[in-house]
This record gives sequence, C-alpha cells and structure tokens, in this order.
Amino acid sequence: MGSLGINIPSGIVVVISLIIGLAMVLVFGYTSDQKAIHIAKDRLKAHLLALRLFQDQIRVVLLAYVRIVLATGRYFRLAFKPLLFVIVPITFLIVEVDRYLGSVPLSTGETFLIKARIDNPDLLNQASLQLPDGLASTAPPVHEPAENTISWRLIAERTGEYAVNVQVADQVFSKRVVVGSGVQRLSPVRVRGKCWERFLVSAEPALPANQSVEVIDVQYPSREIAFAGMEWNWIWLFFVLSMTAGFLFKSILGIEI
Amino acid sequence: MTFGRKALLTDRRHFPACLALLVLVLLCPIPSHAYAGPGAGFAVLSSFWALFVAFLYSLYAFVVWPFRQLFRLMRHRNVYANAKIKRAVILGFDGMDPELTERFIAEGRLPNLAKLRGQGTFRKLSTTYPAISPVAWSTFTTGVNPGKHNIYDFLARDLSNYLPHLSSAEIKGPNHSWKIGKYKIPLRGPRIKGMRRGIPFWHWLGEAGIFCSVLRVPVTFPPEKFSGVLLSGMCVPDLKGSQGTFCFCTTRASSDKFREGGVRVPVERTESSYVSYIPGPENPLSGDSGNELRVKFEIRPESGKNQARFTVHSETFTLKIGEYSAWIPLKFKAGIGLNAHGIARFYLKEISPEVEVYVTPVNIDPGKPDLPISHPVTYSIYLEKMFGPYATLGLAEDTWALNEKVLDDEAFLAQCYANHEDRERMLFDALEKTRHGLCACVFDTTDRVQHMFWRYLDEDHPAAREIPRAQRPTVIQDLYARMDELIGRVMKQIDEQTLLMIVSDHGFKSFARCVNLNAWLHQAGYLVLKQGKTESGDWFDDVEWSRTRAYTMGLNGLYLNLKGREGKGIVEQGVEGESLKEELRRKLNGLVDPESGRVGITGVFDCEEVYAGPYVENAPDLIVGYGEGYRASWDSVMGKVTSQIFEDNLKAWSGDHCVDPRLVPGVLFSNQRIVDEKPAIVDVAPTVLKLFGLALPGYLDGKPWTVDISASRSIELSTAL
Repeated sequence: MGSLGINIPSGIVVVISLIIGLAMVLVFGYTSDQKAIHIAKDRLKAHLLALRLFQDQIRVVLLAYVRIVLATGRYFRLAFKPLLFVIVPITFLIVEVDRYLGSVPLSTGETFLIKARIDNPDLLNQASLQLPDGLASTAPPVHEPAENTISWRLIAERTGEYAVNVQVADQVFSKRVVVGSGVQRLSPVRVRGKCWERFLVSAEPALPANQSVEVIDVQYPSREIAFAGMEWNWIWLFFVLSMTAGFLFKSILGIEI
Repeated sequence: MTFGRKALLTDRRHFPACLALLVLVLLCPIPSHAYAGPGAGFAVLSSFWALFVAFLYSLYAFVVWPFRQLFRLMRHRNVYANAKIKRAVILGFDGMDPELTERFIAEGRLPNLAKLRGQGTFRKLSTTYPAISPVAWSTFTTGVNPGKHNIYDFLARDLSNYLPHLSSAEIKGPNHSWKIGKYKIPLRGPRIKGMRRGIPFWHWLGEAGIFCSVLRVPVTFPPEKFSGVLLSGMCVPDLKGSQGTFCFCTTRASSDKFREGGVRVPVERTESSYVSYIPGPENPLSGDSGNELRVKFEIRPESGKNQARFTVHSETFTLKIGEYSAWIPLKFKAGIGLNAHGIARFYLKEISPEVEVYVTPVNIDPGKPDLPISHPVTYSIYLEKMFGPYATLGLAEDTWALNEKVLDDEAFLAQCYANHEDRERMLFDALEKTRHGLCACVFDTTDRVQHMFWRYLDEDHPAAREIPRAQRPTVIQDLYARMDELIGRVMKQIDEQTLLMIVSDHGFKSFARCVNLNAWLHQAGYLVLKQGKTESGDWFDDVEWSRTRAYTMGLNGLYLNLKGREGKGIVEQGVEGESLKEELRRKLNGLVDPESGRVGITGVFDCEEVYAGPYVENAPDLIVGYGEGYRASWDSVMGKVTSQIFEDNLKAWSGDHCVDPRLVPGVLFSNQRIVDEKPAIVDVAPTVLKLFGLALPGYLDGKPWTVDISASRSIELSTAL
C-alpha cells in the first residue's frame, strides 16, 4: 500500500491497461481496413446463421462449415495486419513495465540465490563471490558442473542497492542486487551478448564479451498484485484489464475489431 | 462514395516486412511469448471468439444432425415419393405484361423468355378482381379467392368513421405500459396483426417436410411460422409505420406539403455547415402523440468539387451531386437503452445556391429488426450479414418522390435497380440453399418502373406529350431485357427435375386519364356534400353522410352506405341495397369520357358474384373496372370529391393495372409444358402442391394444371434429402 492507502502496483496496472487499451483500439482503427473487417465478421456471422437456418440440409451445412473456416482465415489475416504495428512498441513497453512490476525487491532477512554460469567448466572452482556490507553468505557455494553453474545462498541484512562481484580467476563481474520494498526497477539477470535476450530480460549492461561469465542471475520473488479480491501476476491483470478497456473503447469509438 | 474513416496503412507492399517482424518477435526466447501474449491477445481473442463459437455450434449441429435426420425420416417418410419435381422455382415479376412481353419477344429483346415459350409454356394468367398486387399475390399465396383471404385493396375502411387503414396488417402500440409522470414506458413490443386470412401453400409444403425459401412475396407481413425461410415483401412498413415516407431536406423555404409519401424538412445554416434531421417514429416513452424521434445530420458542401460531406451519428461520407449513399444506419434514441434502428440512403440534389438532400424512407434495419420482417427472425439478419443492408420497406422504390419531382427519372431508376440487385443476390443465395423444395421470389422493379415510365411508351400520354418520340428513353424495353437476362441466369441454375415458373400478378396499361368516381357519385346525387360545398377534403371531409348512399375510396372499390354496417349508413340492407347496386352498375358500366369519347369504365362487378367465402362482408360492394387508359383519380382514391369527373393524369405515375381485370392478365412462363389453356393465378398454389405429390386441401379455389413433365421421373428420397 502506498502512503494514501492505495495499492500502487494495481493502480499502475489499471492506468497502463486503460491507456494501452485505448491506444491499441486507436491504432487498430487507423491501421486496419475497417470496412473489410466489418464485412469479414458479417460473413462469418452469416455462415454461422446459415448452419442454424438450413440445418436440415447437409450440403448447405457442410458448405457453411467450409465457409466458416475460410471466413475465419480472412478475418485472422485482416485482424493480424494492424497487430503488426502494435506488437513491437507494446513488447517494449511490457518489458519495461515488467522490470518494475514483475518482481519485488528482496526483503531484509530474506535468503536468496545468486547464480553464475561460466563458459569454461574448469574455471568453476576458481569462482568466488565478493559481498558488500548488508549482504551475507549463508552456505558454501554449490557447483553444478553439468550446467556450468555455481550458486551462492545469501541473506539480505539491510535495505539498499548493492553491487555483488563474482570473481573468476582474475576477472570480476558485477551484478546489481536490490533489497527494500515498493516498486523499484529490478534486473534479475545480467547476460553476455545476445542483444534480444538482454533487451527482454535484463536491465543492466551486458557482461563483457570473450570473458568467462555468461549469466549472473538473482532470484527475486515474483510480485503478486491484489486486485478484485484475487492475487494476480501483473501480466494477467494487464491482459484482462487492457482487453476490457479495449472492448469498451471500441464500442465508444465505433471501431471494428 | 468515400468513407472518412479509411485505413491509413493498407499497402500490401509492407505486408511481408511486417510479417517478418512479427515472426521475429514471436520467435524470441520464451519470456517474450508471455509479453507478446497480451498485445497479440487483443486481436487474437476476437478471432478465437468467433472461431470458438463457430466450433461449438458446428459441434452441436454435427452431433444433432443425425438425430434430426432420423426424426425427419420418421416423420416424412415418403416426402418426395409422389413428387413429379424435386424443386419448384417461382419467379414473380410484379406487373409483367403479356402483350408487351410478346412484343419484345417478337423484337428479339427477350431471348430467354422466347426459349421458355418455345420449349415450355407461355400463357396469359388470369388475375383477381381487382387486379391489384396485394389482392393477386394473396390469391397466389393461398390459392383462394379474395372472399377467403380478406384482401381487396391496399386500403380497407373503418366502418365507424369511413377512414382508411392498411388492409394487410394492423400495428398498434404495446398492450401494457408503465406511466411515470409524462413518460410511458412500454412493457411489451408493439402488437402486429396480419389481416390476410388463408394458409400459404408453402405452409403445407413445410408440413410435409419440403423446405421452402420465400423472398418478398407481397402481403407476407407479419411473417407466419412455417418450415422454411421467408423475407416479407410488399406491405412491410417503414420505421415510422407508414408505407414509405421520404424526407426532403432543403434550404428553400416552402409551405407546400407533399400530398402523400413525403415530408419537407428545413436545412439550417450554421457557421461552417448545414444541419437538418430525419424524422423517425413517435417516441414510445412519450405519453403524448406527435412527439417524433429525430436523427440529426450535418452537411458540409465542398462547392469546388460539386460534393458534400455528410456526418450522421459517427458516420462520415461524401456524396457528389446526383449520387446516392450506401445504406446508412440510423439510431433513433428514445431513452437509455431504448432505440429504434433504421437504415436510409441519402441523395445529394444540390449544394449551390441552395442545399437539397433527399433521404429515402427509413427502412427497418434488417440486421436489427425492431419489427419482425422475416421468418425466422434471424433470416433477415442472415441476409444482412451476407450481403449488407438492404431495403426492407414493402414499397421500397420511392414512386412518390418521383411523382412529386423530388427525384428525377435517373435517380429513381438508380434506386430501383439498386434494390433489384440486392434481390437478385438473395435469389441466387436462396437457389443455392434450396436444392430441393420451393424457392419463390417476387421482383417489384417491373411494377414500379412500368408505373413510372409508361408515359414514354404511350403514344400520347399527357405526362410526356412534349417529349418527341425519338427522344424518349427506352426504360421499359430495357427493364424487360434486364429481367430476361436474369431469367437466363436462373435457367442455368436449374436442372430438368426443377419446375421453373415465371408469373406476374397482372399486366399493365396506360393511365392517361383520371376518373373521380366520387365526383360522379356526387353529380349523380348518390353522394351529398354539406350545404354550400362543391368539393370535399380528403377522406370525405364535408360529406353529408346522412344523405349519402354510395362512396368510393381506394383503387377499385365502391361502397354502399349501408345502414347497420357503416357508422352513418342510410341504405337499407336487402332489396334497397341490391337495387342500388344494380342501378349503379347500370349507370357506370360504359361510362363515356366526354372529352375523348372513349369508354372510361368497361365493367362493374358485384362482389357477391365474383367472391365467395367467409370474408366477403368486408369486401367493397362493387368492383369498378376502368377502361384502357383510365384509372381512379388520385383524389378519388383518397376519398375526395372534386368538381371534375375526368381529367388528364400529368404525373410520372403514368401506367397502371387497376382497371378492368379482364384487360390486364399476368404472364405465365414455364420450362415445362402446361396443358391448360386458361390458367389463373389462383391455380398456382394447387399446381405446386400437386406436383410435389401432396393432397390438395379442400378449401382451395384454384385447380391444378396438367403439367407435362418432360421425362416422367420419380424423385428418390435419398437424393431429395
């Protein structure tokens, strides 16, 4: 809850959903062939009605089935065309929102894992962790040679934003760890290279290329948002609310979807 | 026409690149799928919803279908066992005239009808008394004379006050409503009662398990339940409840009112545009009558381009001068959640110096029908979804607008043929859906175009005397050729086990001279006006009923003012009435037009002689048969007494059929040989029933024709299903 007693994450999701719902309807309206979509939907409904009206005539019924499939295909094609214009910006937006609402920061006293994947299994034994004040190790590292990973179990002792260093031989790799509360920009993973993957999952600079560590991963707890008496993953809540908003706005704006 | 909300990005060249981008995004690592989900879901969900519904219904239909078929088999075991045909296709061309048809065949204009005549049948088809569409088509539908189906004209009279009402249907407000202050909340829908009696022959076919598709046969409103689909035709009202009220929006000030069929609505100038409105039905929430609902619209003339931009609700479209819009949906809002749904087409007449727009009568929206216009209700919706909005009004071709010179010939024809094309699409869809059974469709274009353009065919019609013969358009010739071309396309769709019939309800003659029978009755002393009056108003205003013995209203009916029947009747029923009828018949039969010297009335028929059945008491007492070139005057039809009995008809409505029925038989063409020499429209129903192997109900007046089916075949039950 925020200072005004408002559930801030759910408020954010509601606002974003409304804006995105409206934006998507508008984009859909302006980028789609509205007349063709209207006709395609009407034809689809007509063939559905034909099933009912001429139900005792097998030839007509079978023909109607075929036409339903064809009409649906046409409708799909027309409906996906405007989707092409929204999917990239929407993906960017959702990725960014997920950094704030997908996970919650670590709480003080909470134990968590930090995991590093190293490209050369021979270097696993040379990996160590340098912890700042406020974070402490609770167990010895665990090696998983099959996956080339090494894991450390840590505990968050104080709130704050920390840089944890993973040292492999003479190379040092830093990973940001946040301990606290509320809505903060989190990056669960720091990765090497892979532009698309980095864009989708990481909010930190890439790990240096041609060096031993491929991925450093901090396991933040998932955020559950209370809304309408239920606990939601933000993306499902967004899905439901943006749909609802979209269908509402399409009726108001008279846009065919 | 161009629509305002156009797609901005519909260039096909971008499609591959966009598709590639989408694929790229979707093929990204697993987490991205979750992100793409909601974005894509917006479009996907809609698509899936449609598919899901389709799938569920398909599954249901598929599972249920064998049981339904089994049930049908058990119920209609030998449905086609005695049938000589597997399908009857009846094309009704309202008013197609046998003499004109023969003439055009001889001129080589109608190759398909010539082929039918050569290989099958061509006969004149005797019509009903009177030869009026609602009467004749009701007889076609039921196989009985008007005394059994109760339709004698478009109009019937209220015996208590001599005022007219529609003969075919009665529409009244809801029975129950809730009154709150000045508002009246209807608790039920309007009450609609069909006045045509008798049973349509497709009812019997349906009972026997033979599927029927019936399109726009007149006097099928309200639609009756049967096993098949039906779209109502002539007599379906517009949204106002009238038989068609156009709207003429103009900046020209005029206090003139249209005699009937239209209203003049002012167009107001605002700072940058013009605004006007379309009058709709009365507000059902209002306790007071006369509180009509309206839809406002805006016009923005673009003088340089000879066009104007219209905004109706949220819809925007542009029309050039002389151009029609598509059907525009109109929502008349009575209150929260209570709307009347109509459709209308706009026609831009002028934008400078004045602004003038014609709007068709507001048709009931077939996609959201506020009144039942089809059976089942979903059939009109199906057609709308399949082919787009279409005219639902019974008399969809706006003859009044041409008569009142609001539309010109070209605009009227464009409207007629647009409706006709819609009807053609529906017909071919019905033909595809009805491989076995009955497919009947009536086309009105033939009737309306002949009514309005006979003046160009007639040698000396008063409405076209000034136009040299060489300059007259060949509208009617073109009309027949167009119908012939349609018949040719239908002939390609049928096989030898199909009976094709082309029928018309009556023929056509010139309407050059008007006869005001009320004026004759007045001058002959049978109808008396109040003291000092030489003419009456419409609907017998100023008629002295206490001294009036006979009157006429509508197109062919003449009524005695009978005591005990009419509200203010004075003629005793029985001997006095009979002798008055005889006297009127004697005097009117052979009535000569003093100006031309021609006979204006060639026959007066006693209804008790031409009708038989339980509803004869509702019939006029006499049916007046006008001579060729004559018809009841416009005033006489509306119960008005004028000083002149005969006068020229100067209106565009220049051809008619409301004459002596012996002069205007219809046509009968068939692809099969019909042996009978004198077929009548009343015989169609029993003939079709017999050909499908059904027993004929005893009440039918028609006699089945002897049809020589080209190769005697038995229709196998399996193929018939």
